[in-house]
Amino acid sequence: MDTWVVAMMMGVSIFLGGLGLIAFLWGVKSGQFDDEEKFLNAVKFDGEDDLNDFAEQEKKQKQLKKKQNYKPE
Amino acid sequence: MSDKVACSHCHLEFNENVMIKDEDYYFCCKGCQGIFHLLRDEGLDRFYDKMGNTKLSPPTQQYEDSENFDSPAFYDKFVRVNKDGFCEVSLVIEGIHCSACVWLNEKALHKMDGVVSADINYTNNKAKIIWSDDILKLSKIVDMVRAIGYDAFPYDASIQEVRANKERRSYYLRMAVAIFAIMNIMFIAVAQYSGEFTGITQSMKTLFNVAEGILATPVLFYSGWIFFRGAYFGLKNRVINMDLLVATGATLTYFYSIYITINKLGEAYFDSVTMIITFVLVGKFLEVLSKKSIADSLDIMSKYVPDNINVLKDDKIISKALKDVQAGETIVVGSGERVALDGYVIDGEGSFNESNLTGESEPVFKKVGDKIISGTISIDANIKYKATKDYAHSTLAGLVSLLENAMSYKPKIQRIANKLSEYFSGTILLLSFVTFIIWWLWPHSFAEAFMVGISVIIIACPCALALATPVATLVGLGLAAKRSILFKEAALLETMAKATVLLLDKTGTITQGKPKVINEKIYYKFDLSLLCTLVKNSKHPVARGVLKHIEEQGEIRGVALEHVKEIPAQGIKAKVGNKVVLGGNAKLMQEHGIDISDVSEYTEFYFAYDGQLLAKYELFDIAKKDARESLGKIKKLGVEIFMLTGDHKSSAFKIASDVGIDNVRYELTPQEKSQIVTDFHNDGKIVVMAGDGVNDVLALALSDIAIAMGRGSDIAISVSDVILLNDSLTGLRDAFLISKRTFFNIKENLAISLVYNLITIPLAMAGYIIPLIAALSMSLSSLLVVGNSMRIKFSFKYK
Repeated sequence: MDTWVVAMMMGVSIFLGGLGLIAFLWGVKSGQFDDEEKFLNAVKFDGEDDLNDFAEQEKKQKQLKKKQNYKPE
Repeated sequence: MSDKVACSHCHLEFNENVMIKDEDYYFCCKGCQGIFHLLRDEGLDRFYDKMGNTKLSPPTQQYEDSENFDSPAFYDKFVRVNKDGFCEVSLVIEGIHCSACVWLNEKALHKMDGVVSADINYTNNKAKIIWSDDILKLSKIVDMVRAIGYDAFPYDASIQEVRANKERRSYYLRMAVAIFAIMNIMFIAVAQYSGEFTGITQSMKTLFNVAEGILATPVLFYSGWIFFRGAYFGLKNRVINMDLLVATGATLTYFYSIYITINKLGEAYFDSVTMIITFVLVGKFLEVLSKKSIADSLDIMSKYVPDNINVLKDDKIISKALKDVQAGETIVVGSGERVALDGYVIDGEGSFNESNLTGESEPVFKKVGDKIISGTISIDANIKYKATKDYAHSTLAGLVSLLENAMSYKPKIQRIANKLSEYFSGTILLLSFVTFIIWWLWPHSFAEAFMVGISVIIIACPCALALATPVATLVGLGLAAKRSILFKEAALLETMAKATVLLLDKTGTITQGKPKVINEKIYYKFDLSLLCTLVKNSKHPVARGVLKHIEEQGEIRGVALEHVKEIPAQGIKAKVGNKVVLGGNAKLMQEHGIDISDVSEYTEFYFAYDGQLLAKYELFDIAKKDARESLGKIKKLGVEIFMLTGDHKSSAFKIASDVGIDNVRYELTPQEKSQIVTDFHNDGKIVVMAGDGVNDVLALALSDIAIAMGRGSDIAISVSDVILLNDSLTGLRDAFLISKRTFFNIKENLAISLVYNLITIPLAMAGYIIPLIAALSMSLSSLLVVGNSMRIKFSFKYK
């Protein structure tokens, strides 16, 4: 009986820890920690305007990509 | 008195009356004003809130034509097309002061139509820009960067650098997984082992084993992949390396642990599996981290080669690409420009800086008929010259290709730990196999014999061996860095410790690189301010030396001079009222009919007023203060010291005797210097070369350890392995001492891990090792090694 309690607790905690690990791996893979200075300063440039700019840039990227793909050869 | 006002763009402060006033804003120059308005029109003036009180440098106005960026040659070299069909380029952005600058550049580029993404690294100012070439040309992007007050130039993001980064990232990922797993396994292991003493049911043991097994699996197969790969390549080359030992040990233990878990035989060894992999992985990572990437080195060389040449054709100056210029064409060179082709002067005269080739900072005067050498820089000469060779055959191109060769042939000294681990790995694998056979033949069950065999591998844990070198070198590198000595690669410490010959460049390495007044003879007392104002008009190193000498003597006021004229290779001439003032060498005096009697072995500077000789200064490029003592110490370590110089015999020997060097080679060309390095190599010596100039680069590239002075030329720094940031020879001495100390420590560490193995392996072979002891002793040996490495720091504290 108590074996199951321990098993459950270990399972849950390792699972939660695993989620944290996966998030970290994703961060490293997508280059978020490549530039330590920028990464630390990013918090200063985190406003409404910046979010809007970012959204717009993403939209533009999508459009450009579309255009590129439909380019008649 | 007017108040100082800060410029609204760059924040530099000037008097109010010199500023440009524009509405409520003040600007120090048109450039700042232009940028300010541009940013406001683009809606990017948030930049000023973000930059805070940072001061920027005002925009410089002169740029070469950005159309160069659109040439097919440029695209060929620097622009890549990515899989979406967009173009990609790597640029270095110059002028970045703060994170707001990064923000501004990214935003400004993002606002341009056709830019897909612009990502700037704040730490190294490198930008990666992706754009659609159908909509936008690269020159427009560069124009934008320049318009907002920065400058961009390309760099070749060569495959090597990309690969190095990729490797490092892969290590991060693997280590993250391994460390996560080992931390969890440790917790579980505490429960497991304490159960040993307090009583634990088999079902609980099995539960812990299963949990550990789940955690250990990704560590072995993902984090440990590096060892499987290494072992495979080792076997392919018929070498039994440490990777093979780690891989076989970990894998066998892993499967044996599964066997234990399934058959409920007690504690499994999953903790040992993860621990071996993690420790050795960390050791490997430390080595990868401190490996230098030579990727950027050759890049800097390309900065030395101008892209375009001004060629005179039918009385018109046209711009030609360097490789299109043929021998026989007439080339125009202005002051400050770099010469890319060899030839001889046909019109004009002036001074050239030939320090690239000779290492001496003294300008060389060239007139019609004199030879021009590629790679030199015109200081004040506006000349026309006829090219005698095309670029591919020029001195400069020869130097570049020699350098490329030298860098790929750099000798590699085999490292003691690597050598040792080869023998070690083979021996352990053999011992373990023998143990297994003996136990099996001596009537024991297969399982028992197998377990004892494996325990030999586990206990001979290569952790301590793997950590022996990296930890010690890391401590050594840190110690060196504190003393402004930068080693670009950890392995260099060992090579340096084994060095037998030290080659030193004279100018700038042993000496200060600038002539200094060592004697003054005042014939008649005169106003120092007059001389001071006169020499201020020249950039010649001798004039600079005299100026520094006078300025040290006290208060100087300005004197009005007229008709100031610099006479090349002679000195300066000026007028006060209608009296002639002269400052320069003996030749200048003789030409103006002034008699000079005593001649000395040093560089001389005479000062005359109205036909009367007033003073004489003797200048000499003296040795650095700490030179004699530091070199003496290095000699005591058993290193032979040689001085190599492009300078003349007399001054070479003078310096050599000042600092106590017995072996001198003088009047050397860069090629001869590198030949000397090769000769030493042929004699089986390990060569350390210290230098600072472009003329030393070839020799530096060939030597086992190349040391550059921090104030040396870019290219010397980039081919070097060690950089002395404070330029001092004390630094050179410390570099030797630290590397010797570190190497000694590495040997100690290796000895510790070997002694440890000598004790534990027989115990393991006799079957006395239980899992708990195995795990404990493994950590203990690693701790011993780490602790011993820390001693480097303490033993160096009081020197």
